[in-house]
Amino acid sequence: MNINGVEIVDTFAEAFPMKATRIIITAMNLKWAYQAANAIRGFASSVIACGIEADIERELKPTETPDGRPGISVMIFAMSVKDLEKHVPTRVGQSVMTTATTACFSGLDSEQKVSMGKSLRFFGDGFQISKVINGKRFWRIPVMHGEFICEETTGVTKAIGGGNFLVLAKTARQGLAACEKAVDEIQKIPGVITAFPGGVVGSGSKVGSKYDFLTASTNEAYCPTLKGQVKSELSDDIGSVLEIVIDGLDEESINQAMREGIKAACSFGSAKGICSISAGNYGGNLGPHLFHLRKLLK
Amino acid sequence: MSALTFTLKSQPKFTLDMSPLIPDGLQSLTLEKIKKLKLVYGKETVRVETLFTVKGDDKNTIIINKSCDKLICVGKEMSVGSITVKGNVGDFLGQSMKNGLITVVGNAGSWAGNGMSGGRINVEGNVADYTGAGLPGDAFGMTNGLINITGNAGDRVGDRMRRGIIIVRGKSGNFCGSRIHAGTIIVLDKVGKHPGEGMRRGTIILAKRPAHISATFKSCGNLKMQFLRLLFTQLSNMDNEFMFFSKYGPEAHRFSGDLARNGKGEILILQTMNKR
Repeated sequence: MNINGVEIVDTFAEAFPMKATRIIITAMNLKWAYQAANAIRGFASSVIACGIEADIERELKPTETPDGRPGISVMIFAMSVKDLEKHVPTRVGQSVMTTATTACFSGLDSEQKVSMGKSLRFFGDGFQISKVINGKRFWRIPVMHGEFICEETTGVTKAIGGGNFLVLAKTARQGLAACEKAVDEIQKIPGVITAFPGGVVGSGSKVGSKYDFLTASTNEAYCPTLKGQVKSELSDDIGSVLEIVIDGLDEESINQAMREGIKAACSFGSAKGICSISAGNYGGNLGPHLFHLRKLLK
Repeated sequence: MSALTFTLKSQPKFTLDMSPLIPDGLQSLTLEKIKKLKLVYGKETVRVETLFTVKGDDKNTIIINKSCDKLICVGKEMSVGSITVKGNVGDFLGQSMKNGLITVVGNAGSWAGNGMSGGRINVEGNVADYTGAGLPGDAFGMTNGLINITGNAGDRVGDRMRRGIIIVRGKSGNFCGSRIHAGTIIVLDKVGKHPGEGMRRGTIILAKRPAHISATFKSCGNLKMQFLRLLFTQLSNMDNEFMFFSKYGPEAHRFSGDLARNGKGEILILQTMNKR
């Protein structure tokens, strides 16, 4: 199978179960909402070392936010509810509460919840005020810019992490151009994020390492400089491999994101240096969610 | 299915305790059994059919027609369904209600929403004193829910309330929000003397500056309160009836108090409209 001269390798992406939450950050204007959102998604590219994976899902109009101000929805993924419980309050506290004029709300309704304002209220040092409006509890924490308003908890749902595809190109410049377009398309789809910087992974990993203390290490089969030295998956003409990793709320949204992303990458065609599209898998041992490239593109 | 309708045959001479006639208590009863239910009428008990004509079969939706202020404890302890009262109603409307909706197309007496812990009461006329308040000896007044009064309210609205929202679209009497522990009271027209007297926490939002604020409230100046933006947006989204809140802005003159009792409550006097 090929699209625009780009070969679609007969393989599959292997994804694994995660837990996710969505938070809504509002501010005086989008500029300051972005400041907070960018801060919270900083150092949140992979659960391997960051604890969570987070990214901006989309901008929200004032009519879509709880306080009628412009906002941004951010999705946060982790391996367990316990991890979310640990990281969400600290990140909201250090990244959102510290950003001027912001407020933070839950963007997901579910029975299972992790705390947000429930933990952060203590910053108010006894001057915090609780308000229950329409069945939801909000905390008003007096801060130097005025008041930081934060919903008590945010909902948690089952999710899927690690949907992915690899773009094999002649040069890094050509591969990156295709990936940028792919990420642009993926960002239009609700319920998915690409948590790595710019949505593109420059150093994709495999599970394990020769070193006992490492849980992940470089994926040598796709490193162009190791051709001839290891059992490589790359032909002679491939000089760069970039990966796009997608976390999503369900299989259907990841399917759609991979489909649109691959189509966008392939639109550059072989003429512009895109050789093939592959995917990262571990023989089906890592997770129960398998996304077969050819199947999802049919 | 048509709403279960109780129509008063004539105006009662004495107070009539309506507390048995709530959706929770009628679910398993046939129409005949409902007619034979006993109500406390003055010092006596009478059957429902003696005072009311009863029709309909939807026990989740109750309508009381030709009501008057002798009917007390309407919707007491209800937790499901709705009660619509056409006419005035007496004291203790929605006392200790847990959920559901009570609508009064008329005026209500004192102690409306006394001890309520959830649900919503709409009064399309005026209410007397002690709306959402606690009885002497109770630890708190209302502990949750929403009371929406289209007309005016009497004295001591929300006295000792613990949580919940009271909206008075007309005027409010003296001692509005007295001794409140928490919760939110909104008054959109004039308010009487001593609002927030003895309040510990909680928020009293006034659209008009009161004639008198106790000396134990300290001005914090004019502030843009993000909480007001959130509250008004949430109320506007909750119900079309509250869409008018979208015209109120977040700027308010904040008074903190009552400093004689901890001083962690606030009176917010709205400063601007249409500036969001």
